[in-house]
Amino acid sequence: MTTAAIQHRKPSVIRRLGPARVGVYLFLLTASVFFLMPLYIMLVTSFKTMDEIRLGNIFALPVSLTLEPWVQAWTSACTGVSCNGIRGGFWNSVWIVVPSTFIPILLGAMNGYALSFWRPPGAQALFGVLMVGAFIPVQVMMFPLVKIMGSLGLFGTLPGIVLIHVIFSMPVMTLLFRNYYLSIPQELFKAARIDGGGFFRIFAQLMLPMSTPMIIVAAIMQVTGVWNDYILGLVFAGRDNLPMTVQLNNVINTTTGTRLYNVNMAATILTSMVPLIIYFVSGRWFVRGIAAGAVKG
Amino acid sequence: MHMKVHTGHVLRTLVSWGALLPMAVTVIVAYLGTVLWSLKISFTNSRTFPSDELVGFAQYTRLFANERWVLSLQNLALYGVLFIAACLAIGFLLAVFIDQKVKGEGLFRTVFLYPYAMSFVATGLVWQWLLNPTNGLQQAVRQMGFEDFTFDWIIDQDMVIYTIVIATVWQASGLVMALMLAGLRGVDEEIWKAARLDGIPTWRVYLSIVLPMLGPTIATVLVLLLTAVVKVFDSVVSMTQGGPGTASEVPAKFIMDHLFGRANIALASAGSIVLLLTVVALVAPFIYARSRAASKASA
Amino acid sequence: MRRTMKQFGVLSVLMALAGVAHGAGPQAEVIHWWTSGGESAAVRTFSEAYTAAGGVWVDTAIAVGEQARSVAVNRIVGGTPPAAAQFNTTKQFLDLVEQGMLNNMDDVAAKQGWDKVLPEPVLNVVRVKGHFYAAPVDIHMPTWFWYSKAAFKRAGIANEPKSVDELFAALDKLRAAGLIPLAHGGQPWQESIVFTAMLANVGGSELYLKVLRDRDAKAIQSPAFKEVLLAYKRLQGYVDKGAPGRNWNDATALLITGKAGVQIIGDWAKGEFSTAKQVPERDYGCIPGFGPKSPYIIQGDAFVFPKTSNAETVKAQKLLAEVMLTPATQVAFSNHKGSIPVRMDVDVSKMDACAQKGLAIMKDKSRQLGNGEVYLNPDQNGALSDVLTAYWNRNIPVEKVQKDIAAALSN
Repeated sequence: MTTAAIQHRKPSVIRRLGPARVGVYLFLLTASVFFLMPLYIMLVTSFKTMDEIRLGNIFALPVSLTLEPWVQAWTSACTGVSCNGIRGGFWNSVWIVVPSTFIPILLGAMNGYALSFWRPPGAQALFGVLMVGAFIPVQVMMFPLVKIMGSLGLFGTLPGIVLIHVIFSMPVMTLLFRNYYLSIPQELFKAARIDGGGFFRIFAQLMLPMSTPMIIVAAIMQVTGVWNDYILGLVFAGRDNLPMTVQLNNVINTTTGTRLYNVNMAATILTSMVPLIIYFVSGRWFVRGIAAGAVKG
Repeated sequence: MHMKVHTGHVLRTLVSWGALLPMAVTVIVAYLGTVLWSLKISFTNSRTFPSDELVGFAQYTRLFANERWVLSLQNLALYGVLFIAACLAIGFLLAVFIDQKVKGEGLFRTVFLYPYAMSFVATGLVWQWLLNPTNGLQQAVRQMGFEDFTFDWIIDQDMVIYTIVIATVWQASGLVMALMLAGLRGVDEEIWKAARLDGIPTWRVYLSIVLPMLGPTIATVLVLLLTAVVKVFDSVVSMTQGGPGTASEVPAKFIMDHLFGRANIALASAGSIVLLLTVVALVAPFIYARSRAASKASA
Repeated sequence: MRRTMKQFGVLSVLMALAGVAHGAGPQAEVIHWWTSGGESAAVRTFSEAYTAAGGVWVDTAIAVGEQARSVAVNRIVGGTPPAAAQFNTTKQFLDLVEQGMLNNMDDVAAKQGWDKVLPEPVLNVVRVKGHFYAAPVDIHMPTWFWYSKAAFKRAGIANEPKSVDELFAALDKLRAAGLIPLAHGGQPWQESIVFTAMLANVGGSELYLKVLRDRDAKAIQSPAFKEVLLAYKRLQGYVDKGAPGRNWNDATALLITGKAGVQIIGDWAKGEFSTAKQVPERDYGCIPGFGPKSPYIIQGDAFVFPKTSNAETVKAQKLLAEVMLTPATQVAFSNHKGSIPVRMDVDVSKMDACAQKGLAIMKDKSRQLGNGEVYLNPDQNGALSDVLTAYWNRNIPVEKVQKDIAAALSN
């Protein structure tokens, strides 16, 4: 295949700056306006004073631009008795996110591997029930899980919240890896078995290395999911391990207290920085990962 | 020889099950266990704490006599169909257009993906402001000169559910786009070349050839979107609080309100059992068929 | 006052440090939902007073009452209860009492004479079967009528309305002047507040108690109650189109910027006014009710103390309860919070003009009425709220609403 042939991958009518190409950019730019509008409002609000915000012109650019809300959000917004901004929960979130990404991915990969290659009897049924479990609202499972965690002595501990995240992410992780492995030819697996490989050996030496793209995809989904989690961390993490989202919620939410919208917006953007940076940096891998056949079912 | 194969088979099953043990424990204890517990509670008159006093189907009767609950189910059905359709359509279109080797692909992708990274507690409020007729879009467009422009769905009890669709599609379609884009990138070069040689217009290729090939991708996306539909809660709470009145009520919010605010876990459990049964009835046959097809295909 | 507070604060920090160095006093983990600026300053008066008394305050703040309470309940169930948890002065914690999950504060109550200094509606909530299971800390009144002086001036309203009829007349004038007559946040709990205001001011104390405390079906079906509901619905006509879903703060902002005339909301609104540097009687007015017998609706916050046999924690709980109800702390707390002290016997001469109005009414025992939640359990209250918000937003014949309310309250 010559270079020229590769470059003409698509019908050339699209490549010229003809009406069709303009149409493509037009569509994408229009869509971008829709997607960016809320971010624009959030940014603009976060640089205004409360007096300006009270006037209610949400689209207006700040008349008296101020960085105060951002400083306040990070260092001095009140979250209870103490007014230290949202930075307090940052490391807690990190300690929760790292194991809660690593373990579910490992288990998801192993489950997917067992389900798609070994297929022990009854496993498919188990998988079916697991998938149904993905539809149960978190709050419904709360009470019994609290009791179980309590009796295990894990309630309000870091291992406890990690275990909770493992439980709740198992359906999606298993689904992702199972589908990924289904697209890998069975012959490869059979050859490995003939070579004398056992369950764990094949997994560690053959399947896992081949799963790199999928692992990255799963990691991205899991990191953003766990980083943004509020309710599970609130209930199960215990006072010393409360994640950043709890601080964020304390700053933003109140029933009868005053609301400083500019600080709230700044705090929200700050909290979502970590997942955003991960998206931006690993966006390429994300797409490439699934391209390797992960989502082909 | 026969014995050896049999033992090998047993050993293989044991080892596989050993590896699947965490999954089995999770499913049985965490998922099945809590569902069975909820089922039991739904037959009692528990308030803040579980009680053992059985009251038969009283909670279920009360549930379906409750206007708010019935409305929440209707809303969920309407919302679900619209949300999934819109996400699939928009996600697919975005992916197709980005796939046209546009400049700044990375930037466009981030623009469409960033909503997924943000918590709905704050973004929901921004959408509330945007859709508010007094301060939001309606006002802005009117100030630009279009005096008759109306966009007050969020205060209209018949239209408010559509605003929830808009906001949640904004949040989720970026993820759908990313998944679709990856699927598109997996389409073989040869297909495109062959299509070009045959002189088929691009849009035809997408519709009749590529789309069917994305079938499995779409299936996975459907599962993810469906779980999001059933659990929709944050957006409703921060945008409309279930209002105006109870017009934008959804089952997850009904359940939450009764679990904590109303201290009536029995009614909440009844609600969640009904919700779960509805989902199972809709989804189980689909999953079963897919897993049968998948195992047949790879056999 | 602030400087003294600051010195007090510094002193207590030093004392706390000294305490820490000496193997500190009783440690109390407190779950509460006071996370915004003003609330934070208020709860700090408690933590500082507690530290000054030798204790160690461990703060676990969780925004939004419902969340905080559910975490408290989960912690109790999970085996790691806090020393104290915030609830409202309502039936919310009744289930906890019945399950034997709370320690009682009878010792502290006897020492400080709670049965003599607390108002009756509050006593009836915190004293269950003769024991004191909660330490109430403040009294909030949810049905104040606030108005913007600037808006009234523009609409040509010279005098503050003195009756419900005058209120409606003022609303008409505001509308004629092109302003938003009634600033309202369309959320179910705010609609309940507007209803409560009408029940109290149009229906009167007797009808109020018959409906909410006694859940008397005859009272609910009566013509007098019908009048209340019609007045409630009538107010809806004075609300602007953008009201549904709006936060109460955004409605207060309309008053602050002079775009709207009146808002019916609780005394916590003072916080928003002060953040905008507005002063009572100069920039805004506050009306607790109409007529010489208008009731003061009582709702508030109270701390419960989860059951524990750990002697140190019990000591901490008792110290905490005692500290929170000392007169000086009570006044300091309420000044920051916008509430009035729950103790009737404290020196309140330095509190702001609106608080003084409320305190004057509280002196008359017959005008002390509890909020709906004081008499109804959370489920009944929620069911009532559903009916009210439906009626506010839809055109339902008032007779049907009466029937629905009767059904909701009979659960």
